[in-house]
Amino acid sequence: MKINEIMTKEVKTLSPDTPAVEALKRLFENKISGLPVVDAQGKLVGMFTEKDILRAILPSYVSQVGRFVYENSPKTIKCKIAKLADVKVGELMRKEVVKVSEEAPVCEVAHIMLTQNVRRVPVVDAGDRVKGIVARSDVLDQLLKG
Amino acid sequence: MKKIVLKFGGLFFVSVASGFLSYACGLNTHQALSLAIFVASIMGTLFFWEFRLSFAFLGSGLLLIAKAIDLDSFLKLTSLDVILFLAGMMIVVSLLKDAGFFAWLVALILRARNLSGKKFTFLVMVISGLLACAVDEVTSIIFMVAAILEICDYYEVTPTPFIIISVLATNIGSAATVMGNPIGILIATKASLSFEDFLLTPFPIALIALLITILIVFRWYRRAIAEFDRHIEEMKADDILLKLISVPMDRHLKTSLSVFGAMMVLIVLHRRLELLLGLTENTILLIAPMITAGVIMVWKRHKAREYVERGIEWWTLLFFMLLFAQAGTLRHTGATDVFARLFADFARNNSGGLLALVLWSSSIGSSVLDNVIVVVTYVPIIKSFFALGYGSQTFWWALLLGGCFGGNITLIGSTANIVAIGLLEKEKNIRVRFRDWFGIGLTVGLVTTLVAWALLLLKNYCCSF
Repeated sequence: MKINEIMTKEVKTLSPDTPAVEALKRLFENKISGLPVVDAQGKLVGMFTEKDILRAILPSYVSQVGRFVYENSPKTIKCKIAKLADVKVGELMRKEVVKVSEEAPVCEVAHIMLTQNVRRVPVVDAGDRVKGIVARSDVLDQLLKG
Repeated sequence: MKKIVLKFGGLFFVSVASGFLSYACGLNTHQALSLAIFVASIMGTLFFWEFRLSFAFLGSGLLLIAKAIDLDSFLKLTSLDVILFLAGMMIVVSLLKDAGFFAWLVALILRARNLSGKKFTFLVMVISGLLACAVDEVTSIIFMVAAILEICDYYEVTPTPFIIISVLATNIGSAATVMGNPIGILIATKASLSFEDFLLTPFPIALIALLITILIVFRWYRRAIAEFDRHIEEMKADDILLKLISVPMDRHLKTSLSVFGAMMVLIVLHRRLELLLGLTENTILLIAPMITAGVIMVWKRHKAREYVERGIEWWTLLFFMLLFAQAGTLRHTGATDVFARLFADFARNNSGGLLALVLWSSSIGSSVLDNVIVVVTYVPIIKSFFALGYGSQTFWWALLLGGCFGGNITLIGSTANIVAIGLLEKEKNIRVRFRDWFGIGLTVGLVTTLVAWALLLLKNYCCSF
C-alpha cells in the first residue's frame, strides 16, 4: 500500500514568519507535537515541534552536562521564555526535514520512522509541496490491519 | 569560495615547498616526503578544522602509498595505549556526568558562605584547575561555564571575565597530571614517566602558576570583581541561589565516586604496583581506566553501549591515532634526527638553550595550534635529542608545560578556550573579541611560561648536585 492512501490530506501548516508563541498555541489547541512549515508557494521549508521550543529555552549545554538538577527555574530560562515573544518559527524550526513522496510504501515509511526517530512525516510532491502528513499511529494502524 | 581556494593553495604551496626545501637541505626522499605530508595534514587541520579527520586519513594513506613507512610500523606508531587510556577515561567521565558528580562539585561554589567577588573568583579558579587535572580540560570547562553562567545570571553580572578566568585556570590545571590533557598521557607513555613524576614536577609548577595567575586576575579584573561584590550586596539571597543547582549525595553518586576513587588509587600508586607485580612501566597507569570502564560497563550494562558510542569521542581519538602515526613516521624515516641536530646546533649544544627552545616554541606554537599537534610534532624530536646524547627529562616537562600554558595566549589556543567561548556566544550572545582575550591571555601565558622556565632551570640546577 502507498502512503498517499492513508495520509491525512488536510494538513495544518505554519509559516516561517508565524510567531513562535502563536505556533505553540496552535500545537496545544490541536493536541499535536509538531507541524510542517511551508513558504508562500506551499513548499516545505521545515518542521516545527515542541522539542524546538524546549531547545530554545533550555541552556545549550544541558545535553553535555549530564545530571544537572535545578530546584528553581533559573533566570536564564525565564528570560528565554520572555524572549520567545519576539522569535519567529523560521528561527527555531528544524530545516532538515525527513519527508517522503506520495508513492512511498507504508513499510518504507515505518522503517524511516523507526530508524530516524520521527513521529510524523510530511508527504510531498516532486516540487516539495506538502500533500499530506502521516503519523506513527496511521502507519501502525495500517500495518496491524495487514 | 575564493577563501577556500586561497587556503588550499596555501596548504599545497607550503607543504610542497617544505618537502623540496628539506630535500635541498639534505633530507632524503622519504624524509622529505613524510615531512611534506605531515605539514599538509597540520595545515589542513589549521585551515579546515571540521575536516581534520579527512586530512589525517588522506595524509596517512599517502604516506603508505609513497612507501615512506610500511603498514606494520605505521600501525605500531598509532599509540593504541594512549587511545585506550583516553577511551577508558571518557567512559569513566560519562558515568560521573550521569551521577551528577560535576554538578555536585560546582554546587560547592554556590554553597560558599559569605560569597564575595574575590572569593568567587578564587573558587572558580581553584575548582577549574583541580577539575581539569582530575578529569580533562574539556569536560571541566563545560561544567565550569555552566555554573558561571547560572551564578552570573543570578547576580546579573556579565559572565565574560569569569569565563575567561576559568579557562585560564583550566589550561594551567590541565598540565598538573596525566589525566588533565591528552598531551599528559602522551608524554607519560613516550617518556616512561609515572604519575608520581607528575606529582613531583608539573603539579607543583602548575600550582605555583595558578597562584600567580590568581593574583594577576585579581588585579586585571578588579572592576568586574568589585561589580560582582556590589551585586551580591544588593541581592543578598544566598538561600535562593543555593537552591538553583542541587544534587543530593545519593547512593548512585557515592558508588560512582567510589569507582572513580578506586581508579585514582590505581593511577596514583601505579609505579609501586608495577614494581611489586613485576610489570612493565606504566602498565597499570594505562589499564586502570580500561579496568574501571570494564567494571562500569558491567555495573551499568543497560547504558554500556551508550557510554561507548556516545561517551567516547571517536572522531577525536581516530584523529589522534593517525596524527601520532604521521608524526612517528617522521622519526621512522629519520627526519626528526636531522631537526634535532639543527635544534642542538641552534642552541649551541647547550642543554639550557634546548630547554628554553622546547618550552617557548611549544608555548608559542600552542597559542595558534592545538597543543596535541605541537606535542606530537615535538615527541620524535625530543626522542632524537636522547638518541644524539642531548636528552634530559626536563625537556618532556618543558613540552608539557609549554603546550598547556601556551594555550592561554590566544582565543584559539586550546580546545577549552574554543568550547567556553562557543557556549558563551550561544547562551548569552556575547562575542569575545580578540582584544578582550589577548591582553590577559598573553600576560598569563607569558608569566606562567616564565615561571615554568625558572622552576625547570632550578630543578635542573638542583638535580646536577
